[in-house]
This record gives sequence, structure tokens and C-alpha cells, in this order.
Amino acid sequence: MDLFRRIRRKPTLELEDIQATVLRARPEPYFGTHAILEITDPAAGKELLRRLAPRVTSAARWDEPQPSWMALAVTYQGLVALGVPESSLSSFPANFRAGMAARAERLRDTGPNAPEHWEFPFGTARVHVAVTVFAENEADWQSEVAAYERELREVPGVNLLSHQDFGADGFNVFGYRDGFSQPVVEGSGAEPLPGDGRPIKAGEFVLGYPSETGSPLATPAPDVLGRNGTYVVFRKYHSHVDAFNRYLHDNGRTKAERELLAAKLVGRWRSGAPLALAPDRDDAALGADPKRINDFDYADDPRGLHTPLGSHIRRMNPRDTKLEVLTDVNIRRIIRRSTSYGEPLPADALTDDGRPRGLDFIALGARAIDNVEFLQSEWVNSGNFVGLGKEKDPMISLQDKKGAYFTVPGSPPRRIQNIQSFNTLLGGEYFFMPGLSAIDWLSR
Amino acid sequence: MSEQSALEKFQTLPAAVREKVETAISDAKIELKLRVGLMLADQKETAEHKVTTAGRVGAKSGEVSELTVIMPLKSDGAARLRKFFKVIDGNLAGAGQVGTLHNMRFVFLENDTKLLFATAYDGEWDPYIDDFATKIPEFMDYLFRNVEGWPGIASPDVKDFIVKYQIPAEAWFVSHPNLTVAEANRLKRQDETVQSFLADLN
Ligand code: HEM
Repeated sequence: MDLFRRIRRKPTLELEDIQATVLRARPEPYFGTHAILEITDPAAGKELLRRLAPRVTSAARWDEPQPSWMALAVTYQGLVALGVPESSLSSFPANFRAGMAARAERLRDTGPNAPEHWEFPFGTARVHVAVTVFAENEADWQSEVAAYERELREVPGVNLLSHQDFGADGFNVFGYRDGFSQPVVEGSGAEPLPGDGRPIKAGEFVLGYPSETGSPLATPAPDVLGRNGTYVVFRKYHSHVDAFNRYLHDNGRTKAERELLAAKLVGRWRSGAPLALAPDRDDAALGADPKRINDFDYADDPRGLHTPLGSHIRRMNPRDTKLEVLTDVNIRRIIRRSTSYGEPLPADALTDDGRPRGLDFIALGARAIDNVEFLQSEWVNSGNFVGLGKEKDPMISLQDKKGAYFTVPGSPPRRIQNIQSFNTLLGGEYFFMPGLSAIDWLSR
Repeated sequence: MSEQSALEKFQTLPAAVREKVETAISDAKIELKLRVGLMLADQKETAEHKVTTAGRVGAKSGEVSELTVIMPLKSDGAARLRKFFKVIDGNLAGAGQVGTLHNMRFVFLENDTKLLFATAYDGEWDPYIDDFATKIPEFMDYLFRNVEGWPGIASPDVKDFIVKYQIPAEAWFVSHPNLTVAEANRLKRQDETVQSFLADLN
């Protein structure tokens, strides 16, 4: 599928100063690496930023294919390690300063998802800088990574804490096309595709521009640091595809029944075709057509007979669904830049092969931290907002060990018992993704 | 119940419960000690009504939380609010659209210099402040601009402002701790269906 929206209007955002990842969609297939670095003294940290700055790609001409690009983001501890002055540190929001691990209760990251079980280095105060390389082919991926590693080697005061490769053909490890539904950012110049809805105010995604409230959201000081920056939420999940497959097998006798249930859980068939437009069977051509794949709302499906109210995409973007709780769905949108790692497990594999596979969930936006906290407590680990009581998101919630279920609406509704947690959190962090002039400011 | 039989019944409670009661309310009559003791001993009932915390401040029982704030009013604040409440006859029916409010009240204290605002609501309030700021900003600001120092519903400081005046309840009871407003609405709809089914049947 051609994922690139085109620039059709004159952009009004300062694209040369905004990092590419904010607007640039990842290609299909894609290759890449997430690295996490620790700064042991401020001078070394600044030296690292000075060296990497020229490699950080801007969002200028974000619609043109590019062989590879690099993104850079900093945690609150990273800002401290860089010696950023207190007046500036205290201008960042409280949840960013606390860090993801400290927000576990808000995020409902308990039990197996709790920070005490996380992989190193997540949740430690040593996570300072994240560097991500995206590429559209293997060779450019390798050379971009090699280039960043050369710079890293030149700066002795910076340690590499983790290096994770990722890559996929556009389908995640459960076998679903993933990552294409995105909000349209006003001022980016993007052509809206059918079904995209109105563009969302730029200030929801990039700091320093008017938001949905009419004015810019709180922006870190000084202006050069905050402007054109955004926040990033990174959450690394391990996927239990075998458990997912077993759930389908336990509750579907034929392949057709299993695939329908698989579609009901997500709200889309594996091809990406939405149940809203293909209620009875998959339609691969629809799933590969960017002009049709999002061209729907839920107006004619208030009870969820096609797309269950509790399905993953209807929860995560309810569109025009009538909600039980007063909510502004336009401020709850996130830009998703998630990356898949590991080999997919085929739908007939019912036992775990013990290999690492999953998704690095990555959300960007001026409210990304508030929004992921909101989504986790209100829309993922509760069903109250759509009148589903304690029923949770079938893909990403932490399900109760006993008594958890998923409801497929109908007459009568089908309540499918014993749904498990299909994804376990391995760790995560809150980052600030500075604009290019902010990187320069930080390096001085 | 006679004092004697209350005492006998009290003796049958677990030692840990008796000890808790004896140390906390040694000055109470045996009948009250027995009542408190029985309540503490009923683990199912106490578990269902267990009081936890609602976000940063406030008590929560099951899904239902309490919020109490006492805020200083501007000099003409009470008069203006009274005028507004009069126009609507003290009826805040529109608040139902929020979907999480079980009840709320506005009370003027200390010669109209302070406002007490108290509500029972579902979940936590601070995730939804941002939604109020874009969905019903006029309403929120119209009410609360009468409060001294109100930063505006869209201000990044508004959550801290509210927390500053919030007084957590020391004790909190909700008769149906797991019945949210949304769940109650669902049960009402379900009951209507059952009632009309029964009406049609007969
Ligand atoms: C391992 C974890 C996850 C898996 C396997 C997964 C899978 C999917 C799939 C297959 C789609 C449909 C394709 C698309 O619209 O691009 C989707 C959409 C989406 N997901 Fe997830 N997801 C995961 C985690 C999350 C998390 C943690 C969040 C947010 C807290 C989230 C939010 C969304 C949103 C907002 C959409 C777009 C919905 C729309 O616009 O209609 N996902 N996800």
C-alpha cells in the first residue's frame, strides 16, 4: 500500500525545524533500530547532540520517499543529565518529569506489566536519550546505523544501554496491517483522504501552535526549546500470538469463524479492511486501498453490530460513536509510529516458540503523555465510556486472570469468555522530541 | 438487645476485630462496639465498600469518588452565582451530559465569602479536565470565574488550582460502589425493555 499522503496545500508549520517522524509515515517494508543512551556528564551529552544534530532529519518534504532517517528524543532525566537549567526543567509537565514507571498506577501498569518486571534499561533513571533509525531497505538501514554509531564511539561519556532492531512488511506480529490510521495535522499540507475527518489543530501535535482549545498548549521554556517539539510515549510489548491463536481456535470451528472473530476483536480484518465497510468477509483490495480503508464512521452502527463497541479500533478512535461520558475525541488523537519486531507467528501456531516478538508502541503528540494515560485508564482498561462496564480492550488491556470476556454484539450478543492478555508490557519511557533548533540549544 | 447479650455476641467476634474496636472506641457503649465489630468482621461487605484514593486527592469506593472543595469567592461572586442558580431554579439538569456525575452541590459559606462545591462522580476527575476545557469551557468558566484566582478551565494550572482547595473526605460510603452512572443508565434501559416485554406479554 502506498502510505504516503501527498502535500497538496502550502504547509504553514515550520517543517524545517520539526523532526521528520512527526509527519513522515514509515514505509512498507521498513527496517530500523531503537537505541537508548546514557549521558554520564553534561559536556559529553552536549558533544553527542552536536555530532548527531546534522543526522536528525526534518519534516521538510515529509511526503517524499527517503531511504533512511533518524529521530532523537530525550527523557526528563536526560535533560537533567545535559545540565538544562532548573527554570527550564520545571516548565515541563509533571507526568513527563515523573517518568512512565512512576505513573504506573495511572497507566494501569500493574501485575505482569508493573515496572518491577521491566527489561533493562526501562524505568531506570539511566535512560536519557533515544535514537531511532528508520529505513526503507536493509542497506540504507545498516549505513545509517553505522553512521550514528561512529559518532557515538567518538564520545566516551555516553553509554549505549540497549540496541533493538525492528522491521516488518507493514503487518504486525499478529498478522494485521497496522499503523496506517493517523490524524490529519492542520498546517502540515497533507491532503485529507476520504474518511479522515477534519484536520486537527496543529498545536495538538506540535508545541507552539494553536490547539483545539484555541491557544497553544503549555510549552516548555525557553521558547527555543519548546517550540516545534512534541512528546513521545514509547511502550515495548511482547505479543502472545499463541494465546491469541488459541482464543480464536477455542471459539471458532472453521477458519472463516476464526477470522471473523479476529476481525471483531480489532474492528478490521487482517488485510486492514474495516468491518464497517466489509462486515461479513475480508476484502483484501479494500485493505490495500488508502482511499477507502478509512472511509467510514459508526453512525449507522450504534449498537456495534458490525464493529463491536469494544473492538480495539473503535475504542482507540470512537469517531462519531455516542459516548456515555463527556469526551472530546478530537483531543484524544495520537500520531502512531509503532514498530514491529520479531517474526510473526502463523495463525495455526497454538504453542509459544519462546522467541521475542511484539510491538514497540510509539505515540507522538503535544498531549501524547496525557492521552496515553487517559487511553489506558478510560478506554483500554475499562468499558464504562461505551456502556460496557468492566469489559476491556481485547488486544492491549491487562485482563483479569479469571472471568474476563469479549462481547460480540448481536441478537443475542455473544459473550466470549476467558480472554487473556495478548500483550505484556516489557517497559517504556516518556520522551520529549525537540525541534532541530532546540537540539542545537541543548547542545550548547 | 440487652447489654448482656450484646456483650456475649461481641465475645464471639474474632480477637483481632475485638482488639481493634477496644483500642479505637473504648469509650463507646457495648451496643455500638458490637455494631462496629460486626461491620469489620463482615469481610465481603467491607471489601465491596473498600475505600481507596481517587487520583491525587479524595476518597473512592469501588468506582465512585468524592470531591469536596472550599474556594474563596470574589466579592460579588456569591451574588452572581445566586442570580444564575435562580434563573435555572437551582436545577442543574444539563450536567447529566457529563456522564460521570452522580450528584453535585454548591453551598455558600461564611457570609458568602466561600463556595463549597461537592460531588460524587465516577473514576478520577483529572483525566477529563481537558475535555471540559474544549467541550464546555464557557460553562466551567462562567461558574468558576467567581472564584478568587480561577486560572480558567483551559489553563495548564487549573488542576493544581483545584487540588489546592480540595479537602479529602475522612470517611466515604456509596451504596452501590460498582454502579457507575453509565452502568445505571444501561440497567435503566434494560429494565425498560423488560417492563415493555412484560406489558406486551400480558
Ligand atoms: C501490541 C500492541 C498493539 C497492537 C497489536 C495493536 C494493533 C492495532 C491494529 C491492527 C490497528 C488497526 C490498524 C491501524 O489503524 O493502523 C490499530 C489501530 C490503532 N491502535 Fe493499536 N495496537 C496496539 C497497541 C496500541 C496502544 C497501546 C494504543 C494506545 C494506547 C493503540 C492505539 C491505536 C489507535 C489510536 C489506532 C487507530 C484507530 C483508528 O484511527 O481507527 N494501539 N492497532
